[in-house]
Amino acid sequence: MIRLENVHKSYKLHGGSSKAVLRGVSAIFGKGEAVGILGRNGAGKSTLLRLISGVEFPEAGHIQRQMTISWPLGHAAAMHYSISGADNARFIARIYEKPIAETVEFVEDFAELGQYYRQPVRTYSSGMMTRLSLALSLAVDFECYLLDEVVAAGDSRFAERCRAALLDRRARSTMLMVSHQPETVRAFCTSGAVLKDGRLTRYEDLDQAIAAYHAA
Amino acid sequence: MSDAVAGPVDWVRTLRIQFRVLGALILREMSTRFGRENLGYLWLFAEPLMLGTAIGALHHATGHFLPGGLHVVFFWVTGYVPFYMFRSVVNRAPTAVVANQSLLYHRRITLLDILLSRNLLEGGAVMGTLAIFLAAFGMWLDIWPKQPALVVLGMMGMLAVSNGLALMLAAGAIYTDLVDRVVHLITYITMPFTGAFFMVFWLPTDMQRQALWIPTVHCFEIIRRGLFGTEVPTTFDVGYTVTWAIGLNLVGLLMLRVARRRLVV
Repeated sequence: MIRLENVHKSYKLHGGSSKAVLRGVSAIFGKGEAVGILGRNGAGKSTLLRLISGVEFPEAGHIQRQMTISWPLGHAAAMHYSISGADNARFIARIYEKPIAETVEFVEDFAELGQYYRQPVRTYSSGMMTRLSLALSLAVDFECYLLDEVVAAGDSRFAERCRAALLDRRARSTMLMVSHQPETVRAFCTSGAVLKDGRLTRYEDLDQAIAAYHAA
Repeated sequence: MSDAVAGPVDWVRTLRIQFRVLGALILREMSTRFGRENLGYLWLFAEPLMLGTAIGALHHATGHFLPGGLHVVFFWVTGYVPFYMFRSVVNRAPTAVVANQSLLYHRRITLLDILLSRNLLEGGAVMGTLAIFLAAFGMWLDIWPKQPALVVLGMMGMLAVSNGLALMLAAGAIYTDLVDRVVHLITYITMPFTGAFFMVFWLPTDMQRQALWIPTVHCFEIIRRGLFGTEVPTTFDVGYTVTWAIGLNLVGLLMLRVARRRLVV
């Protein structure tokens, strides 16, 4: 379970002022839930994922985590650019106590980076980074996955495989996906939430959430 | 992450994860800093070895007399190498967080892990370099350390003091870039005061007292006691050094903890 209690976050802007992004978000995400969090650009979706992942801290409020949580997938986060994809896989395996050889092999198979797998990550395209990031997180086998829409959007063969892999995990993992496109969310999620004006509203029914998102 | 495991088992698990994380970070730091090209990891030793040799050669060429009849090259090299450790740990601290903050996406990795792994690697490399130099001096000049354990103790004290300063600087750098801008200047200006290139007994009595306020001076005196034994007088207080090391590290930890909350990744 992940519990957010009255979470606030604002960022300092240049010039001394600050912008409040989250103003009192409270929510509970239970085991096995697949929640689509809808929000417009700049609504604070990525901020919310960063706070849940624990890489940044809320200014006020609490976040309780009772499961292992992935880093937000879909950005080039959590990787090291100056070392190769394979070295990143070795690093992840060491940190999360996974067998090294199998992890390196699994990531190589899943990410399909070809010879780039042995090259520094900084030479990758953004699509390749997303693939590597996702493959690394699947190798760790988290209890909760934080997903940005870009992971599963698109109609490439890889997007198809991502969807298959994530849907397979959904049976046993919690999934939180942020998106501004209801269609992407519909493919994965069973319930929804809307992030607007720094607050999060949960809806039991995904269609309700989508309707509320459109109405807003 | 279950609540079923509790008590002493948790401790063992926490420690095991801690060591795993540090080990993985050290390996990663080695590959990011040196890669696998040309000399690869040997650069870890190559840089302090080359700099130490250069300093030694310079003073061999100018060849001035040192109080107490200390061997010129031996004195300068064994003073420079620990100083090199101090300087590189401290100078690299302000950029440590920015360069590694993507690691914080792994909840098991803390800012302390990042700094500690870098500093342990640096410390290990420089201690290895010092060992190489001491072996070389032994064979070349037949000067062997009188009490090697004290050399190690002094180096550990130096590393602990440097680490504490590094934690504080890394925390400060989260607030302002200014820390990185001034730290190089400060390590340069304070170089003569660290104790790297003088011994306490060379100084007039008043200055001795002032010099002995500085914790790194004690570290150098401990190292030199280990190197020269009682051939020359040394003054130090192990308790004073340890107190400084603990104090700096505690303040550093506290600052890091506060700064972590406002770190924007």
